[in-house]
Amino acid sequence: MPEPLLEVKDLRVQFPTDDGVVKAVDGLSFTMAAGETLGIVGESGSGKSVSFLTVMGLINKKSAIIEGEVLFQGQDLVQMSNDELREIRGPKIAMIFQDPMTSLHPFYKVGDQISEMILAHEDISKKEAFNRSVEMLKRVNIPQPEERAKQFPHEFSGGMRQRAMIAMALSLNPDLLIADEPTTALDVTVQAQILDLIDRLQSEFNTAVALITHDLGVVAEHCDHIQVMYAGKIVEEGTADDIYYRPMMPYTWGLLRSLPRLGHDTDRLTPIAGAPPSLIFLPDGCSFSPRCPYVFDECRVIEPDLLPIDGHHAARCLLSLEDRERIVAQEILATP
Amino acid sequence: MLRYIIRRVLWAILVLLIVVLITYMIFFLLPSGDPAVRLAGKNQTPQLLEQIRQQFGLNHPWYIQYLLFLKHAVLGDQYGWPGLGLSFISKVPLKGIIFSRIAVTAQLAIGAAIVWLLVGISVGILSALRPHTVGDRTAMGLAVLAISMPVFFLGPLALYIFWFKLGWLPGTGYYALGQYGFGTWFSHWILPWVVLAVLYAAFYARLSRSNLMETMSEDYIRTARAKGLTEKRVVLKHGLRAGLTPIVTVFGLDLAALLGGAIITESIFNLPGIGQLTVQAVGGQDLNTIAVITLVAATFVVFANLVVDILYAFLDPRVRFD
Amino acid sequence: MRKRWVTGIAMLACMAVVAAACSSNSSSGSSGGPSGTPQKGGTYRTATQTLSNTSNFDPTGEYYGYAWAIFQNMLIRGLYNYNHVPGDEGNTPQPDLVTDSKVSDDGLTYSFTIRDDVKWGPPLDRTVTTGDIEYAFERINNSNLAAYYGNYYCGVIKGMTCSETTNHPVSGIDVPDDTHITFHLESPTGDFLYRLAMPATYPQPKEVAGCFDSAGGYGSDLVSSGAYMYYGADKLDISGGCKTLKPVAGINPDKGMTIVRNPNFDPSTEDPTMFSNYLDGLQVEINSNVDDIFQKIQNGDLDGSFADTPPPTVEQQYATDPNLQQYIHSDPGDRTWYITMNLLAPPFDDPHVRKAVQWVVDKAALVKGYGGSLHADPATTIDPPSVLPATANYNPYPSDGFAGDVTQAQNEMKQSVYDTNQDGMCDAPECKFVLLANNTSPWTNMNPILQQDLAKIGLTAQLQEVKPDVVNSQTVTVDKLIPMSFGQGWAKDFGSPYGFDFFVFNGTTISCTGSYDQGLLGMTEDQAKECGVEDAYNKAIQFYPDHKLPSIDDQMAKCVQEEGDAQQQCYADMDKVIMEEGMTWVPWSWGKNLIITSPSVTQYVYDQNAGDPAWSHIAVSNTATPENVA
Repeated sequence: MPEPLLEVKDLRVQFPTDDGVVKAVDGLSFTMAAGETLGIVGESGSGKSVSFLTVMGLINKKSAIIEGEVLFQGQDLVQMSNDELREIRGPKIAMIFQDPMTSLHPFYKVGDQISEMILAHEDISKKEAFNRSVEMLKRVNIPQPEERAKQFPHEFSGGMRQRAMIAMALSLNPDLLIADEPTTALDVTVQAQILDLIDRLQSEFNTAVALITHDLGVVAEHCDHIQVMYAGKIVEEGTADDIYYRPMMPYTWGLLRSLPRLGHDTDRLTPIAGAPPSLIFLPDGCSFSPRCPYVFDECRVIEPDLLPIDGHHAARCLLSLEDRERIVAQEILATP
Repeated sequence: MLRYIIRRVLWAILVLLIVVLITYMIFFLLPSGDPAVRLAGKNQTPQLLEQIRQQFGLNHPWYIQYLLFLKHAVLGDQYGWPGLGLSFISKVPLKGIIFSRIAVTAQLAIGAAIVWLLVGISVGILSALRPHTVGDRTAMGLAVLAISMPVFFLGPLALYIFWFKLGWLPGTGYYALGQYGFGTWFSHWILPWVVLAVLYAAFYARLSRSNLMETMSEDYIRTARAKGLTEKRVVLKHGLRAGLTPIVTVFGLDLAALLGGAIITESIFNLPGIGQLTVQAVGGQDLNTIAVITLVAATFVVFANLVVDILYAFLDPRVRFD
Repeated sequence: MRKRWVTGIAMLACMAVVAAACSSNSSSGSSGGPSGTPQKGGTYRTATQTLSNTSNFDPTGEYYGYAWAIFQNMLIRGLYNYNHVPGDEGNTPQPDLVTDSKVSDDGLTYSFTIRDDVKWGPPLDRTVTTGDIEYAFERINNSNLAAYYGNYYCGVIKGMTCSETTNHPVSGIDVPDDTHITFHLESPTGDFLYRLAMPATYPQPKEVAGCFDSAGGYGSDLVSSGAYMYYGADKLDISGGCKTLKPVAGINPDKGMTIVRNPNFDPSTEDPTMFSNYLDGLQVEINSNVDDIFQKIQNGDLDGSFADTPPPTVEQQYATDPNLQQYIHSDPGDRTWYITMNLLAPPFDDPHVRKAVQWVVDKAALVKGYGGSLHADPATTIDPPSVLPATANYNPYPSDGFAGDVTQAQNEMKQSVYDTNQDGMCDAPECKFVLLANNTSPWTNMNPILQQDLAKIGLTAQLQEVKPDVVNSQTVTVDKLIPMSFGQGWAKDFGSPYGFDFFVFNGTTISCTGSYDQGLLGMTEDQAKECGVEDAYNKAIQFYPDHKLPSIDDQMAKCVQEEGDAQQQCYADMDKVIMEEGMTWVPWSWGKNLIITSPSVTQYVYDQNAGDPAWSHIAVSNTATPENVA
C-alpha cells in the first residue's frame, strides 16, 4: 500500500478555559490516501473543524494543548514551527471555509487576494501572478474572469465567491484540499454546483479532498470514505454504501432519519432528541448515551471502542451486531 | 459622486446658518442685561449709549442683527472681507485676529494629533497582538488612568513639575516659528501637545486595540493565515487595514472639534488660539466674537464630516455602493 | 528668550534649596533689593489676563485706569498731568505742557501758554502745538469717535455738543498761535483743571489722528509726545498720508503691548518730579492663566503684576511670609463699595429704615469676607479720603470696630411706620424684600453676612444671587425698582468729588434705562412719569414734609463753581446731606489695588490718580531689552 498522504494518530486537542478543559478532539485517528475524498460528518462541537484546523496548524498553540501526531507525507505537522508550516499552507495543503463573504478580505480585489497567495510562495512577477489568478477564476467557471478579478468580494454573488475561494485554494496545486462546510452558507441549487465543481477539479488537479459537513446528504455522492464524528471522536466510518445502507451506530441512524426525503411526508422532521454534550463534562461511558434511544446500562459505564465490522467499516457501539442489523432492517431502512 | 458632494455642501451651509441663528437666539434670550449698558461703563449718558449701540449694531432687533451678521460675513464690511465686525471687548476687528488664532489652534491640534496617533495606535496595536499579557494589561491600565486625568489637572501639574520645579521645559506662551526660531517654538509646544494628547492617546489605544482584536478574529484573517502568508503580512496588510479604518472617522471628527478650540489647554498654556478667545468672549458677553467663533467651529465640524465620509468611501469599498 | 530661561533656571535652582532662604538672600542688600538705588535701564515685564478697553487705546474714547496710567506716565503729554505719586498729592493736577495760565474773574475763560519745545515722536518730526490740543477737542466733539467722557466737556465748553459727525474747529476754543490757547465755558466749572488732566484732551496730531473716523481707530497708531512710544513706531511710514500708514507693531489688544523709549524725546522738557523715566521699556503680555502669571513673577520670568488680583494662595503666601511682605503693595484704589437703597421702594422709602440700615451694617465683617485689609478698608462716607480729604474724619454712624451698632439701629427703626409695634424690629409686610447680589466669589460668602445684619432689625432680605452684570443692569433700570442691591463699586474718574458724586447722586442724570443714580436721589415727578413709576413716586414723597424727594442737585451746581478749599468744603457738606438725609448708599468699604512685584523691582511707586503702578517712577534691576509681545 502506498504511503498515506495524511495520517492522524490519536490526535487530542484540548482548550483550557475558566470553566474547565474543553476536549474538542478526543483521540482521533484516520488516514487519507492521495487523491481520495474523505467526508467528515458531525454536529457543531463534534470536533470536525477543529481537527482539520489543527492539521493546518491554525489552532493557536498558546491557547490549546495538542497531543498526538499528524503525519503529512511523513512529516509530523504538530511538531513543526510556524515558518515550516507556512511553507506547507498553500502549495501542499489548502483550506476553504464556510462563509466566503467573511473569508475574503472586503477591502482588496479578488484577483489580488489570489495573486497574494501565489506570490507568497513563488518568485514570479505580479503580472504573472495576476494572470494565473485570472486563469484560476476561469477554471472555476466564473464568466468574464478578467473583469471579475478586479472586483471586490461584495460584488460577487454567494456562489461565485465560494468558487473564487476554491480557485484561490487550488491555485498552487496542493495535494490536499480541506473544505470546511463549503456549501452551508449557499443556496441549495448552488450547493450542488459547488460540489460538482470540487469533484471535477479534484480529478483535474489530482487533489485529495477532506469535505467537512453536518449534512449527510452532501457527502453521499461525492465521498469515497465517510467519517461520522461525535463529541470529538469518530463514532462510525466506512464507504458511502456502508454508511447509507448498513449504518451500525445509533447516532448515524439518527442522522439518516433526520434527513428530509423526497416523496415522504415532510411535515415534520425527526431530529435527534437531546442536545450535544458539553465537551468539558463529557458523560461517563458512551458519549452518546444520554441521547441514544437504544441505550442500556452498560452504555453509561463502559466507553465503547471503535471496532471494525469489516475491512472498511467500523463503528463505536456496545450493541451487538445482530441487534444493530435487526434495528437497521426493521426501523431505519423501512421507515416511510 | 459629484452630486453627492454638492448635496452635502448645501446641507452643510444650511447647518451653519442654523447654528449661528441659535447662537443669536441664546444670547438674546438669556437674561444677562443689555450689552450696550455693559459696554458704556459708568458715565452713561443716553448719547453715549446711542453711540455705542450704533458702533456695535446693537440698535436693531436680534433677528436683524443676525441677518446683518450674515450679510457682512458674506459681503464684507468696513474692515475687509470676510466682514466679521469688531470684538465687543477688545474693539479689535475680528478679521485680523481670527485667522492668526486659528493658526495657533491648528498648530496645537495637529501637533497633539500626531502625538496621540503615533502613541495611541502603536500601543493599541501592540496590546491587541499580545492580549492579556502583562504588557497589555499595564498599557490598558495606564490608558484608563490617562482618561481619568483631565487637562485642567494634568496641565498645571506638568507645568509645575517640568517648568517650575525642574526647569527642563520653558513655561507657557506661544512663540511663533518665524519670529523666534525652531528651538523656542518647539520647546514651548512640547507640554501643550503632550498634555492634550494624553487623553486622546489613551482613548485611541483602547479603540485601536479593541478594533484590531475584533478584526484579528475575523474569518478573513484565518484565510490569510491559511494561505501561508507571513504573520507580519497578515497583521499589517489584512489586520490593520481593516481594524484601523473606522478610526479614520473618529479621528476626523476629533480633530475638527479641536480646531474649534481646545479651550482648557489654551487657557492653561496661554496659547492665543480660538479656545482662549472663546473663554474671553463668553465671559465678556462679546456677541460678535461668539457668533464668529461658533461659525468657525461649526464650519470645521461640518467640513470634517464631509471629508471623513468621502475618505471612508475610498478606504472601504463596500461603502462606495451607497 | 533663552537668556531669560537660563536666568530662570538659576533662580529655580536657588529656590529648590530653601525657598525662604532664597528670597532673603536676594533682598538683603545686593543690586536686587528694593532698598537699592534705582537705576536707569531694564524692562518691566508683566502680564495680564485681558487688556479690556473701551476704545482700542484711542485716548479720545479710552476710559480704563490702566490705559490712562500708561498714557500719562509714558506716552502722551497734556496741559495738565499728575505727579504719579500716592496720596492726595497724586490726585492733584499739575501743569505739564502749561508754562503760564490765567483764569478770568467770572471763571468763564481759561487761557494757557504752553512750551514750544516738546516734539512728537515717530513718525512725525515737529513740535506739539496748541492746534494739536484743539484737535483733540474736535475729536471729543465727534460722536462717531465715542468719547466716553464727552459729558465733561460737552455743555461745558462753548461749541461742544458731542453730536458732531465730522472734525471741525470748536467755536469755544481759540488758538491764536502755536503756543496759546483759550477756552470759553458756558458756566463756571471749578474743577476744569481736573478735566484738562484727562487723556482725551491731550494733543493729537491731525495728520495721523485724522486718518481715523471711527471709534478707536487712532489707538493703533497713537503718536507719542512723551518719553516713550510704542515699539515699532519708528518703522511707521506716513510719507503717503493715511494710505501708507499701517498699525504700529507694539500694540495689539488681543495679545499685548510693548513700550520703548522715544528717540525724539528731549529730557529737558519734562519735570523730574513728574517723570523719572528709569525704565527702558514696559512689556505687557496677555496670559489667560492667572496662576501662571504669578508663578512667573515668583520665578523671575516677570517683574510684577499688572492688573490681576493675585490668587488667594499666592496672596496668603506673600502676606504671611515676612520675607515676601515687602513685595506685596496695597494702595487705596479710590473706589467705594456700596449697598444701594431705593427711595421709591418700600421699606426703604422710609428714611428711618434707611438710617437704621446705616447703623446696623457690620462693615468689619464684610471687609473680612472681601479679603481683609489688603483688599479694602471700612468706609465711613461716600468719597475715599484721597478724593475728598475734607471728609477723612467724617463718620456719621460710628461703631466699635466698625461692627455696626444694633441699639442705635433699632432705636431708629422704632420710629418707622413699618415697625408697627415699635420694638425696633421691622414687622410690616414691606419688611420682606428682594436683595439683589452677586453670585460670584467672594460675594457669595458675604451676602449672608448682610442678610444677618438686616435681620437684626427685622428686615427679611430674600437673597437673589445673579451675575454681577445683571445686578448692574437691573439696578440701573428705573422701573425695576430694585429695593436693595449689594456688591457694586464705584471708582473716581479724577480726584475731584464731582466726578465721584455726579453720576450717582445727581437727579439730572436719571435716565429710565441707564441711571447710575440707582437710589433715585433727586428724582422729579416728570422723571417718575417718564419712567412709569409715578405711583411709587407719589407714595414715596409722603415721607418728606415738602413732598419732594431729597436732592443735592442745587448744592452740587454751587460746588462746581467753587474752587480750592471752598470747593472741598462745599462737597463735604453735600456728602453730609447724602449720608444723613438722602442715604441711597451704605458705603461699606474703600477698595484697594494689589500689585505684587519681584525682587528685580528696585523702586515701586503708586500712581494715585491712575490707581496703578507709576511707570514714570518705577525702576528695575534687570537689564532686559524690551521685546515686542504685541
